[in-house]
Amino acid sequence: MKTMFSYIKPYKWFAVIAISLMLVELAVELMQPLIIKKIIDDGIVLQDSATVWLWGSIMMLIAFLGFIAGITNSFFSAHASQSFAFDLRNALFKKVQSFTMTTFLRFPTAGLITRLTSDVSQVQQVLFMSLRVMLRTPLVVIGSLIMAFYVKPSLAVYLVIGAPFLAIFLLLMVRKGITYFSSVQKRVDRVNRVIQENLQAMRLVKAYLRGMYEASRFEKVANALKVDTSKALRTMEYIQPILLFVMNVSLLVVLWFGAGKIEQGETQIGELVAIVNYALRMTGAFSMFSFIIVFISRAKASADRMEEVLLIEEGLEDDEMDKGLLEVRQRGTLRFDNVSFKYPQTDDFVLRNISFKCEQGEKLAIMGATGSGKSTLLQLLPRFYDTTSGDIFVDGENVKNWSLEKLREEIGYVPQRALLFTGSIHDNVTWGNTAASIEQVQEATIQAQIHDSIQHFPNDYETRVGQKGVNLSGGQKQRLSIARALIRKPEFLILDDSTSALDVKTESALWSALEGEDATMLVVTQKIRTAKGADRILLLEDGLVSAFGTHEELMESSILYRKIATSQQEQGVDDNA
Amino acid sequence: MLKAIREPFGYKNILTKEDIQKKRNKKVDRATNWGSTLGHIWRIVDEQRALLIIVLFMVVASSVFSLLGPYLIGKIIDNHIMKAQFAGLSKLIFGLIAIYIGLSLSLFLQNYWMIGIAQQTIYRMRTGLFTKLQKLPISFFDKRQHGELMSRMTNDIENVSSTLNSTFIQVFSSVLTLVGTLVVMLSMSPLLTLLTMIIIPVMFVATRWITRRTGKLFKEQQRALGALNGMIEESISGQRIVKAFSQEPRMIEEFAEKSTKLRQIGFWSNVYSGGIPKVMNLLNNASFAIVAGVGGLLALKGQVTIGTIVIFSEYARQFTRPLNDLANQFNNVLSAIAGAERVFGIMNEEEEKDLASDKVIHQLQGDVKFNNVSFKYEQTDATHTIKNVSFHVEAGQTAALVGATGAGKTTILQLLARYYEVNNGEITIDDTPIQAISRQNLRSQMAFVLQDPFLFEETVRENIRYGQLNATDEEVEEAARKANAHDFIMKLKNGYDTFLTADGAEISQGQKQLLSIARALVADPVILLLDEATSSIDTVTELKIQEALERLMKGRTSFVIAHRLNTVRQADIVFVMQQGELVEAGTQQELTEKQGIYYKMLEESNA
Repeated sequence: MKTMFSYIKPYKWFAVIAISLMLVELAVELMQPLIIKKIIDDGIVLQDSATVWLWGSIMMLIAFLGFIAGITNSFFSAHASQSFAFDLRNALFKKVQSFTMTTFLRFPTAGLITRLTSDVSQVQQVLFMSLRVMLRTPLVVIGSLIMAFYVKPSLAVYLVIGAPFLAIFLLLMVRKGITYFSSVQKRVDRVNRVIQENLQAMRLVKAYLRGMYEASRFEKVANALKVDTSKALRTMEYIQPILLFVMNVSLLVVLWFGAGKIEQGETQIGELVAIVNYALRMTGAFSMFSFIIVFISRAKASADRMEEVLLIEEGLEDDEMDKGLLEVRQRGTLRFDNVSFKYPQTDDFVLRNISFKCEQGEKLAIMGATGSGKSTLLQLLPRFYDTTSGDIFVDGENVKNWSLEKLREEIGYVPQRALLFTGSIHDNVTWGNTAASIEQVQEATIQAQIHDSIQHFPNDYETRVGQKGVNLSGGQKQRLSIARALIRKPEFLILDDSTSALDVKTESALWSALEGEDATMLVVTQKIRTAKGADRILLLEDGLVSAFGTHEELMESSILYRKIATSQQEQGVDDNA
Repeated sequence: MLKAIREPFGYKNILTKEDIQKKRNKKVDRATNWGSTLGHIWRIVDEQRALLIIVLFMVVASSVFSLLGPYLIGKIIDNHIMKAQFAGLSKLIFGLIAIYIGLSLSLFLQNYWMIGIAQQTIYRMRTGLFTKLQKLPISFFDKRQHGELMSRMTNDIENVSSTLNSTFIQVFSSVLTLVGTLVVMLSMSPLLTLLTMIIIPVMFVATRWITRRTGKLFKEQQRALGALNGMIEESISGQRIVKAFSQEPRMIEEFAEKSTKLRQIGFWSNVYSGGIPKVMNLLNNASFAIVAGVGGLLALKGQVTIGTIVIFSEYARQFTRPLNDLANQFNNVLSAIAGAERVFGIMNEEEEKDLASDKVIHQLQGDVKFNNVSFKYEQTDATHTIKNVSFHVEAGQTAALVGATGAGKTTILQLLARYYEVNNGEITIDDTPIQAISRQNLRSQMAFVLQDPFLFEETVRENIRYGQLNATDEEVEEAARKANAHDFIMKLKNGYDTFLTADGAEISQGQKQLLSIARALVADPVILLLDEATSSIDTVTELKIQEALERLMKGRTSFVIAHRLNTVRQADIVFVMQQGELVEAGTQQELTEKQGIYYKMLEESNA
């Protein structure tokens, strides 16, 4: 919770003013029974109409005073809570953006999203409510009690008989509430996950006739949610009736003894009425308690989850961002020196003792069986992950000495699964280079073999993709994401099997369009035909370099490579065709 | 005045005069058919109706008790304390204790039971909707965004849930309390009652003034929040791209922009909506002052008693609270009903029709014929996705579908699996039209490996077993071996019991495809559909799988789509698709000799 409070700090004066205004409101409310007492004891009993008029008008006046305080409070508390949420949200987002990929692995995507969305609003709402009403509720109770004591201590004492019991009871309920509601939250997550999975996998579910199986799976999680929610809510329902009962009985005790005291002339009627009034106000405030407890329990869970992210100090990219410019010695060269790598929290090495060199403008094809470490190798280059041992040199300089921003500026990365952002085609192509001119955009899309398709879209380059936009085929997405990399004019172009959804004709047109590129290219491919066009081929097997050389050399020396080649010889058409 | 307060905080005014005016004629987010929606909910409540009626009785009881309490206290003050007569006091006190016990008990019970009813109803709605989704045709999902359906399943149902939980009781008890209070007040002092009621029109005017402004603000806030959430989702799931292109600063900047907008709107909706309770408070306090002041003057003339003033001051509070509640609940109820209506909208969607009865079980042989089949996804589409396609694949044969992206290959397979129904022509299996074979029947003998491999958040073992739920562990492993997945699975941390996460970061794209193939193998189908099932798998591994697949395909009809032509070289028959039409068909030998399109494709891929 400490971290949360540090975000309120800049707005503490607004909060203080808001709370002061709320106290004014509260004072108004607490003065009312006191004034009633005046009206009864000094006015009605003494038959003095001027007093009744006076105190009646005062009551009206302070009611307006309370109103103005209340409305002004809205401005201050809205400002404080909105600004708090604004800062918190931005801080969270910045933090998440600075995560290394390794840190990302620690959080499920959905979890990060909820932290930035519903968790922030949850806490914001609680702050807003605290500044306006929530803090008020316990204050009403305490204030009423103090006022009651001020009016007549000997009667007010009966109101606190139940207090210790109630305090323990409420504490217990808060504890229970926090546990129950955090388990409800987990159930909700689970229910949502099953829904999401099913929406994504609807074709699969239908193909295997698992509709009813999924429905029964869902029933299980929905039932768990039902049971837990009922339990949590029902527990909270004990609060109000018990509080009410204790307070009401105290009220009766006050009446009983009050009556006796009036008989003995120790107490005036107005005093008794005032105390009864205070007691009723306390009772009214108590009925808010269960609601507040629910609210606070949920906010506490949210705050904890956000702090988990905010307090991360290691595994951030921040410190890597502003290293000075390096003197580039060997532009466009790449060297892996004895690189080994394993993913965090796993035991097996994915890459072992990888060493190779790439000259400027060279085209390197990377091949190997499924799971041999091809994609992983590519991800080490922009430093998504750091090597476990060994070094990688880009432009002759160890990647660890590069500022991440400068390093990544050199690289055009096309991932295996094309991912586009909501926006127009133009936005997506210029994503990596916002300054690009229309000509540059077209140059890139023509090179990526997607220009013609784009012209057939309803609004050509302004056609929207992603949510509420056109549905692009897998091949179109891949070509767009290639264009996005090309427009950066990178020193290194990395293609992670990024042409798998293209038909042969389009693919060969793409490769010949890339012929003229100056960039050093690293291409993961399954196809010997693509590999043949490369200057050199790196063949991986179980994370080790199995062979490295030209197509001809590998045909000569590598059994595995020959095996791949034979696996791809087409039937019916001989090699000379 | 607003301006003077606004400026120092640096918030722009976002409400224009038109926004406020427009609200008058426009009803936002209201249900169009109240009756049927409420009726629908009533039907879902079903066997709990009796309990619901008991709850209503409890509400009546608690309302009566909460009216009786202050009434008796007033009586005690007037008849006993004022007159210094303590004879019957103990009796009244015990009566009050009984009333308080009754009050607490009836409050507890009504809530306890209502939570049960509400949760059970929500459970039924949730599972009903989910089951319904399972029965809807694929075209339903094509037309809608996942996000929208998700929001139906979560937000809308949540909305109905919270309304059922609290609003139902509150509305009912508010009305009761209101009426009860009014009756008691009138019987005690009509004049004071009238004075208390002065606040009602004031309240209406004030609330209207505010809601006219908040309606627009809430909508804007929802929109700003949606935009922000969308961005969060994209930037997090696309983190790799953000990093690769060093776009973090830009993302942060864009985020701050959206975040600022939300803060602006949030501020105003807080300020305005926060006004309602303040106005209520003012009116509450004012009526209290009126009761005290005027009541005091009346008491001087002996027209009312002090007891009456005490009772009235309490009733004045009880009177405004239900009004306040009703005003608040009104919006909740409206939005909950609108939400429920959207949910039921899906419940009324047409399900996948199945004319074929489940009773006749066809043991399929796998002789597939397309007769002049045409198909388009939307009736409004200008051109057909599939145009007059006819072919015949005999039982046990392997057919390859080749052609450029968008030629209609995947659609052919989806028609065969009856995800969609043909517009013209006919598809038959073993000379029976597929409409006459129930989907259950058809798909139970079919396995479909989809283009994009999907894995559930489950163990590796359960993901494979998905193809055949009662497969033994040995059968699962056998299928994994055949799919060449066994070796890599054994290298995972917990082998077959390794839990896969949503992003499936633990395994590569190719490995995911191997698992989907294993899943199909364990299903042991008569007809096997492979849609680019091996696109991310290296060719050596693919060859190994193919040996297994070839063995498996013996005696089964298979359809294979692949860009890599060698993937399909064991096919008995090749179909070349071009823009929805079948342009070439024949054995590999025939097509090669023909030197047509297929030949050219082969040439290209070998060049």
